[in-house]
Amino acid sequence: MKKKKTSYLVWENIILLIPLIIYGIFKNGYLIYEKGYINFYQIFKPLYLVLIGIIIKFIIDLIKDHKIKIDYNLVYIILIGMIMPYNINLIIYSVSLLILYIITLFLEKYLKFNKVCFIYLIIILINFIFNEFTFQNILESRFTYSFTFFDLLVGRSIGSISTTSIFFSLLSFSYLTFSYYYKKDIPLFINITYLFLSFIYLIITKDNSYLLNSEVLFASIFIAPLPKYSPLRRINQIIYGISIGILTFIGAVLFNSIISIYLVIFIISLLPNIKLKKKLSNKMSS
Amino acid sequence: MKTLIKLEENPNINMVGKIYEFIDPTKVYIPILTNLTFRKNDYIYKNNYYSNYISSISGYVSGSKKIYLNNKYIDSLEITNDFKENSHIKRRKKKITNREELIENLKRFYLFDLINKLDSNKSNLIISCVDEEEYTINEFMRLSNNYDEILMTIDFLSKILKIKNITLAIKNTNAKSIKNVKSIIGSFPNIKIVLLPDNYLIGLKTNLCEFLNLKEEDSLLFTTNEIYDLYTTSIKFKDITEKYLTISGDALAKSFLINVKLGTSLNEIIKKYCKIKDKEYDIFLNGYLSGIKVLKKEDIIITKEINTIVINKKNTNCETECINCGACYKICPKDINPKRCFFNKTINSKCIGCGLCNYICPANIDLKRVVKGDMYEEKEN
Repeated sequence: MKKKKTSYLVWENIILLIPLIIYGIFKNGYLIYEKGYINFYQIFKPLYLVLIGIIIKFIIDLIKDHKIKIDYNLVYIILIGMIMPYNINLIIYSVSLLILYIITLFLEKYLKFNKVCFIYLIIILINFIFNEFTFQNILESRFTYSFTFFDLLVGRSIGSISTTSIFFSLLSFSYLTFSYYYKKDIPLFINITYLFLSFIYLIITKDNSYLLNSEVLFASIFIAPLPKYSPLRRINQIIYGISIGILTFIGAVLFNSIISIYLVIFIISLLPNIKLKKKLSNKMSS
Repeated sequence: MKTLIKLEENPNINMVGKIYEFIDPTKVYIPILTNLTFRKNDYIYKNNYYSNYISSISGYVSGSKKIYLNNKYIDSLEITNDFKENSHIKRRKKKITNREELIENLKRFYLFDLINKLDSNKSNLIISCVDEEEYTINEFMRLSNNYDEILMTIDFLSKILKIKNITLAIKNTNAKSIKNVKSIIGSFPNIKIVLLPDNYLIGLKTNLCEFLNLKEEDSLLFTTNEIYDLYTTSIKFKDITEKYLTISGDALAKSFLINVKLGTSLNEIIKKYCKIKDKEYDIFLNGYLSGIKVLKKEDIIITKEINTIVINKKNTNCETECINCGACYKICPKDINPKRCFFNKTINSKCIGCGLCNYICPANIDLKRVVKGDMYEEKEN
C-alpha cells in the first residue's frame, strides 16, 4: 500500500472535481450562450466562482504564512464555488466569501463545524436577499422541461452551478472507494437511506421527484466525508451517514431539496462541540 | 483479523544477498546491571556471563561507558580484544531427553525468553521464518543457510515437547528458503510448510495463528533464529556469542546481512562496513517502522534484542496539520485511536509499536512516539 501525503489527497480531490466544473460550464454556460441569452464571457461563470475562491485563499495564505499552501482549505473553497446557485452575483459572492473565510479561520479555533456548508448557507442567504430565490438557470426558468432518466444521469437537472452531473459524481465516487483515506461508508449510507426513503415516498405519494437528486449525491460524496468534519470510527460514520440521509430527505420534502443536505451536514457537524464543551466544563470543575 | 497490508517498496534500497562476517571487533561492551566491580586491565574470558550478558571475546578491561539499552542509559564494561578467544568454561555435553533437562540447560545460557515459551504444554508448534520489517533478512537468511540444522532442531524440539502438529511458516517471497527446505523436508514428515503472503505483521502470533487456523493459546511460536539458538545451546552445547544483523536503508550504497559478535559497538560496524551515500541520515534500531530512532550511534551496542539497523536519508517531510482522515485508526492492528492519544498526549499500553500509524499518516505526524510513550522517555533522558 502506498502512503499518500496531504497535498496528494488535495490534488486528487481537485482533479476529481474538474469534470464536474467542466460540465457546469457546458450546462450553465455554453447551452445558454448557444441560445443567445448570455455573452461569451458569461459561459465561464462556474469557473470564475472557483477561481475567485482560489485567489482569496492564496491571498490569505500569503498574508498569514507568507507562502501558498496546498491544503484542504483549497478543496473547501473550490467546493464552495461549485455549490453556488446559478444566479449568484459575483461581487456579492467575492466579498462575502472573503469575509466569511476570514471569520471561519478564527471561529474554527474554538468551534468544530463544517466550514463549506457554513459559508455556503450564509452566502446563499445573502444572495437571496438581493436576488430571486431560485436554483434554475436562465433556460430552466424560461422553458418547461420534462427530464428523462438519462437527462438526470448526465446532469441536465436543476441544481447548483457545478454539481448536477450524477455520472461524473458516481465516477469520482468509484475512484475514491479505492482510496484508503476516503470514508466511503458515509456517502454509501447517506444515499442508501435517502434512496430508501424516496422510494417509500414514491410508493405512498407517486411522486418520483426526490429519487435522483444530484445535489444529495454530490454533497454526500464530496462534502459529508470531508476528513476534518466527519467521524473516524466506522460505526460512527454509518450513524452519521444514516442520520444525514434521513434528515436530508425530511428537509427535501418540507423545505428545499437542494439546500437541505448542506443544512443537515452543517447542523450535524456542530454536534461534537457539545461533547467538547462537556469535556471542557468537566476539566474546569475538576 | 484486520486486513494486513503490503508495505510500499523503497526502490533506493539495494539489498545484497551476501553475508559479511565481523567476528574480530577491537572492542566489545558488556552491559552491567548489578554491582560488579572491575579494575582496569582485569582479564575477561570468553563465554563468561555478567548479569545475563555474555562476553563474546576474551581480553582486558579498558574502561567503562554509558550505553543506550532498552530505552535507558546504563553502564557497560569496555573490553579490548586480545584476539585469543580464551575460555575456561566447559559445558556439559549430555544429550537432552526431556523438557526439564532442556529448560535446565537453557538456564545455563540465560535464554529466559525461550524458557518462558517452553514452560507450558501446547499442542501446536509454529516456526516462523518471517522478517516483519521490510528489508530485514535475518530469519530468511538463517533458514536459507542453516535449513538442515533448523529442521533437525524442530524435530528434536517436537520430540521433547511431544508436539505432533508442526508448521514451518515461510513468506512466499523467500524463494531461496523454500527451495532449500523443500530439498530435505522429506526426511521430516511431521513438519508442514505453509507459505505466507508478503504482508506486514503477518508474523505476529495473533495474525499467524488466525492465518493458520490455530488457537493462539494452544500454540507455541518460535522464530528460525530462536530455533538456531536452541540448536547451538542444546544440541551443540555452545554459547551464543554471535548474531545476524541486517543493516539496510536508502542512505546506504548497499544493504546487507552481517554476522557480528554480541557487544560490538554499532559505531565500529558502521565505520568498517557501511558506505553512507548521504551526509544527513537517521539511524533506527530494529527497523524503520517498529524501531526507535537512535540519537547517538556511539551509545549503541549489539545485543540479542537488536536485529536490524536502518540507516535512512534524513526525513525532510515536515509535519503538517492533522486532517482527521482516520487512516491511523483504521490501520491500527490493536484498534487504538492514535490521533486521540496524540492530542490528549496519552500513552496506550495496548500499542505494539508496529509503526503503521506513522506509515499511513498523510500529515507525517510521528504518532507512534506518543502512543508508545517514546517521547516521554526521551524527555526524561
